[in-house]
Amino acid sequence: MAERIIAYSEALNEAHRLEMASNPDVVVFGENVSSGWRQVTKGLKEEFGRERVRDAPITETAFIGMGVGAAIMGLKPVVELMLVDFGLVAMDQILNQMAKSHFMSGGAVKVPMTLRAAYGAGTSSAATHSESLYSLFAHMPGLKVAIPSNPYDAKGLLIESIRGDDPVLFMEHRLLYPMEGVVPEEAYTVPFGMANLVREGSDVTVVATGLMIGKAVEAADELRSKCSVEVIDPRTIVPLDEETILRSLSKTGRLVIVDEDYERCGFSAEVAAIAAEKGFQHLDAPVVRVATPNVPISYSPVLEKHVLPSKEKILKAVSQLLRY
Amino acid sequence: MFDLEIDEETKIELYKTMVRIRTFENRARVLIRDGEIPARSGFYTGQEAVAAGVCAHLSLSDQIGSTHRALGHLIAKGCDLKRLMAELCGKSSGLNKGKAGPYHIFDPSVGALGANGIVGGSVPMVAGYALAHQLRDDGGVAVSFFGEGASNQGGVQETLNLAACWNLPMVFVCENSSPEVQKMLGHEIDYPQLSIERVSDRAQAYGIPGATHDGWDILEVYQAVGDAVRRAKKGGGPTLLEFKVHQIEGNLEGHLEAKDDEKTWCPIHRFKERITDEGILTTELDEQIRGEEKSRVEEAVEFALRSTVPEPIEAFKGVFAGGP
Repeated sequence: MAERIIAYSEALNEAHRLEMASNPDVVVFGENVSSGWRQVTKGLKEEFGRERVRDAPITETAFIGMGVGAAIMGLKPVVELMLVDFGLVAMDQILNQMAKSHFMSGGAVKVPMTLRAAYGAGTSSAATHSESLYSLFAHMPGLKVAIPSNPYDAKGLLIESIRGDDPVLFMEHRLLYPMEGVVPEEAYTVPFGMANLVREGSDVTVVATGLMIGKAVEAADELRSKCSVEVIDPRTIVPLDEETILRSLSKTGRLVIVDEDYERCGFSAEVAAIAAEKGFQHLDAPVVRVATPNVPISYSPVLEKHVLPSKEKILKAVSQLLRY
Repeated sequence: MFDLEIDEETKIELYKTMVRIRTFENRARVLIRDGEIPARSGFYTGQEAVAAGVCAHLSLSDQIGSTHRALGHLIAKGCDLKRLMAELCGKSSGLNKGKAGPYHIFDPSVGALGANGIVGGSVPMVAGYALAHQLRDDGGVAVSFFGEGASNQGGVQETLNLAACWNLPMVFVCENSSPEVQKMLGHEIDYPQLSIERVSDRAQAYGIPGATHDGWDILEVYQAVGDAVRRAKKGGGPTLLEFKVHQIEGNLEGHLEAKDDEKTWCPIHRFKERITDEGILTTELDEQIRGEEKSRVEEAVEFALRSTVPEPIEAFKGVFAGGP
């Protein structure tokens, strides 16, 4: 049978449909989720009814907190944040209640909730509509953070997230929704904490997330005649597959981290710290980070492009490491 | 209900402001189509009477806080059209150097503080502008524009309470753009977003005056806001005013006229008929006003298109007040 190719957004839609069909406790709510214009949740209301698929008012604190409560009651809420930036309106519910209720209760309650959020720059939407912010959520103990970079992972990670017992921030880059790829029709899971070796190589390790995987692969392909680049997609940054990163580093001795989130105290800093603490003996050169510098993202396309990680910046970083 | 006499000069000024806003927005639509404005913008077409009627009572030393449909508010408050259009085009001569785009514009020189990309995000800040007036005892007032969707946000409800507790010189202006259908502009939803018919009913819960008016009738807006502003300035505290509005379609041909089925809700059409009947507006004067406003907007477009894009290094400047 020919392999089926569908878009990232369709893969996410399918994950919802499969889990809603097999588990009546799966409910979906958020802003506009019943709309036919929203690719990821399209058709869910028609198939599963308006009891289980509900449009919420623009009240992030209320509907995210409601997700936490519903999860504690044993439901499996999949809550949608239209953009991750809007989650900042509801920081208490996400960073205190959603993240810590399980721990603080001594394990008496669980929060099996998935909070899906679109993220990312590249659309000239300026500072409150362009951010990545996953490092901010990864910082808080108690939250898992998944960042699928392709349709296959999107479906498998979402099903894993819905079936799991922990709260998950599920990050979807807005420019990845149309991306097409091979996706099996049946339900399957991609485990958390297991990195994907996207390209094997021996000279330089590139660790990247989300949309940046595509840019890292383009750079690796372009460099093929000059050097061999290994590209690793952690797929979840909490939990993080440190072992795969360190194993790669032991082979290449050189590390570039590509991260669309802000550089300071971010995911790129975390991976660099792991390399310094646990991979120091493998390092043949300083770690190089290609992240969004510590400035809010501008509206004007020329300014936005200037600060975002790009294939060109990755090429430059790899070349810099090879010359070291 | 009102017995305030409005002189002819004021009526003509109100009409001019509305014509200016609509002319500007239709021109911006063309620039978006042509790619000169790099992103979408929220529009205010059909709501012009509210911005014009509110801002006519404010001086440059009074402030407004706005929304993601800010152009009408910004223009009525007196933002320079050239620098406003340049900002939409992402140019360095823009009001915010191309960093803001339509959703984040601030212009302290005219008290426009500011557009906001987060639904309900500006409302608490406006209480701060009002607090400054109260502490300085300068007779100033601050006006918060927000939509019926934002009216549900925790931050907005908290601010109503705080402003009432502290008796702040503030006017809450809720523009209800879906007054009949209990739906949300731009959102397809099948659950209501409001549990009540009138947002202004919530005023009672905070012990402040509240009322709902037709936002398509500029004289009604002008008189209601006049009362609330005078009360605030005299130490009478905040008011919650709700104006029912209907967004109407703009167009790319520069026509100011609403389509036949939209005329009932079109504040420009209604007011033009009224002041024509009153003998204040003649055909010649109308043509003159439209011509003048069109020229101003065309000058703004020329200025914006002639302006240069920012130097990329600007993306790194301005994170902290002390530089770099």
